[in-house]
Amino acid sequence: MITVENLKKEYKLVKRDPGLKGAMKSLFNRKYETKHAVKGIDFTIEQGETVGYIGSNGAGKSTTIKMLTGILTPTSGKVTVNGLVPYENRQKNAVNIGAVFGQRTQLFWDIPVRESYNLLKHIYEIPEQEYQETIEMFTEVLNLESLLGIPVRQLSLGQKMRCELAAAFLHRPKVVYLDEPTIGLDIAVKVKIRKFIKEMNQRWGTTVLLTTHDMQDIEEICDRIIIIDGGTILYDGGLDEIKKQFGQKRVIHFELADKEKFELPSALNGQVEVLPNEEETKISLSFDHEAVKSSFVISEMMSMYEIGDLNIADPKIETIVEDLYNKQEQGEEHEKVLANS
Amino acid sequence: MRRYTRLYWEFAKSHMKVMMEYRIDFLIGVASVMLEQFASIFFVKVVFDHIEQINGWSFYEILFIYGIAATGRSIHQIFFDNLWTLGWQYIRPGKLDRLLIRPVNPLFHVVADRLHQDGFGQLIIGLIILGTAIPQLDLVWGAAEIAMLVIMIISSGLIFVAINLFFATFSFWMIDSLPIVWAVFNLSDFARYPLTIYHKGIRMFLTWIIPYGFTAFYPAAYFIDKSGYKEFALWTPVAAIVCCVLAYAFWNRGLKAFASTGS
Ligand SMILES: Nc1ncnc2c1ncn2[C@@H]1O[C@H](COP(=O)(O)OP(=O)(O)OP(=O)(O)O)[C@@H](O)[C@H]1O
Ligand SMILES: [Mg+2]
Repeated sequence: MITVENLKKEYKLVKRDPGLKGAMKSLFNRKYETKHAVKGIDFTIEQGETVGYIGSNGAGKSTTIKMLTGILTPTSGKVTVNGLVPYENRQKNAVNIGAVFGQRTQLFWDIPVRESYNLLKHIYEIPEQEYQETIEMFTEVLNLESLLGIPVRQLSLGQKMRCELAAAFLHRPKVVYLDEPTIGLDIAVKVKIRKFIKEMNQRWGTTVLLTTHDMQDIEEICDRIIIIDGGTILYDGGLDEIKKQFGQKRVIHFELADKEKFELPSALNGQVEVLPNEEETKISLSFDHEAVKSSFVISEMMSMYEIGDLNIADPKIETIVEDLYNKQEQGEEHEKVLANS
Repeated sequence: MRRYTRLYWEFAKSHMKVMMEYRIDFLIGVASVMLEQFASIFFVKVVFDHIEQINGWSFYEILFIYGIAATGRSIHQIFFDNLWTLGWQYIRPGKLDRLLIRPVNPLFHVVADRLHQDGFGQLIIGLIILGTAIPQLDLVWGAAEIAMLVIMIISSGLIFVAINLFFATFSFWMIDSLPIVWAVFNLSDFARYPLTIYHKGIRMFLTWIIPYGFTAFYPAAYFIDKSGYKEFALWTPVAAIVCCVLAYAFWNRGLKAFASTGS
């Protein structure tokens, strides 16, 4: 479905000294700086997969998606989507794809949502029957009924995003790229949107590539994640595997009668870390569950303190990813130190 | 081609619905353009009250040139007005991205995104001026002449479009080329008078470099024997096609540059 081989994108930036003088200088004597946004990545995605594409700000996610949609031409490397090279056959490729780009609207600003959809119907040449069925279904799943008559510019962010999503799936594309579809939304809308994406994937086998900074999106929608950092891929694999591989960290929250007096039991020293906890009566302990058993931590704590309540937290993808980023950063720093010495 | 015609019609229907919803804005837009045009014709009229001819051109002949310019410009203004907004509305805010992932020609999409009400004022004025000027000219009008006038007006419109497209395309490399597009567009005012009243250099410039001469003076000269440009005027449709081809090729280059820089 989607194959990416040794894909690279470099941006050329005009380098400029600060101030007016620098600006004048760069007018006559341009110096370019090359920004390696994507540094040779590889992956393949099969029809019907739901892939979370995650990474910190500036990691290269949007750049990759723009190359997959054909908006950007890669500096080098290969991309094919559905057998087409997107940037060479942009319009042909466009028939098979749908996209949502963060807070930028895809709909027509001044005209009512229903009219917008009608124009999209003509643009994508959707058969009338199919169009009616699709609209009816979307209206129900996304609660669009009351929004259809309103011009897009009068919609709230959450309402707009629901309409956007419907627009991206309207022509039943084979692949949908979602670049931060839940940014700035409240929980209720997020839940609705996640449910919708999942349903479309199951019903039509739509391939979904999703970027987000909300790990809950990933947990609920994706079977697989690709983590990118600094333009290179750090991890590519199933969601369950990454939890198994990196998710040995456990966190237990204890409610204590007297937090002031707390001191880590000596038996746990060196193996358990005390995490900061804002709440006045609670304490959080983090440990590697391969090295120490949860039951051991709990019994040690019970024997020393009066425990009101306790709660074992699941290994969250969030903490795993954070760990991975941190490891990467430490690695880089390590390299730097080596390079300097 | 058929598909694009149908698609354009669908876009236009939506725009017209919006226009009808904001009827007051529509009327004010049309009226203000008409007022503006009347003011500049009034100015010409005042000049002619004092002298009979300018360089051998009578008032009604100049009015005729004016009328062709106004009608040609209205084609541009009604259907292609969105070219003005290419930089700040499409390229900078990333709206062009969304057009690039649709299965239509992006230039078509930009153009079809707007139908400009003020252009209708321009069209009405243009037709009124032509209707006033033509009976006063010493001409016989047959079907052939009318067909020729229509061809000339369409060519005039296309040249306005091509020149605007060409300079708007610079927005792919600059933050916004709007000031340049404006500056160039203002030159078209010169072309509403007989080019023969100008210095040779200006005449050459408006014929071969920025060919606004073909938007009014040359088309009009076809119908006015004494101009001495009757034959040269026949090149007008050719000039229009050449300009469109060049501008479109340049636009494609701009798109290509956009695809490699992403901004
Ligand atoms: N048009 C551009 N010109 C120059 N540099 C760019 C351009 N677009 C992005 N970059 C740079 O390329 C890098 C990758 O950007 P990209 O937008 O792909 O990141 P991202 O992973 O989507 O980040 P975020 O999570 O913040 O959206 C960044 O360092 C960014 O500054
Ligand atoms: Mg991004």
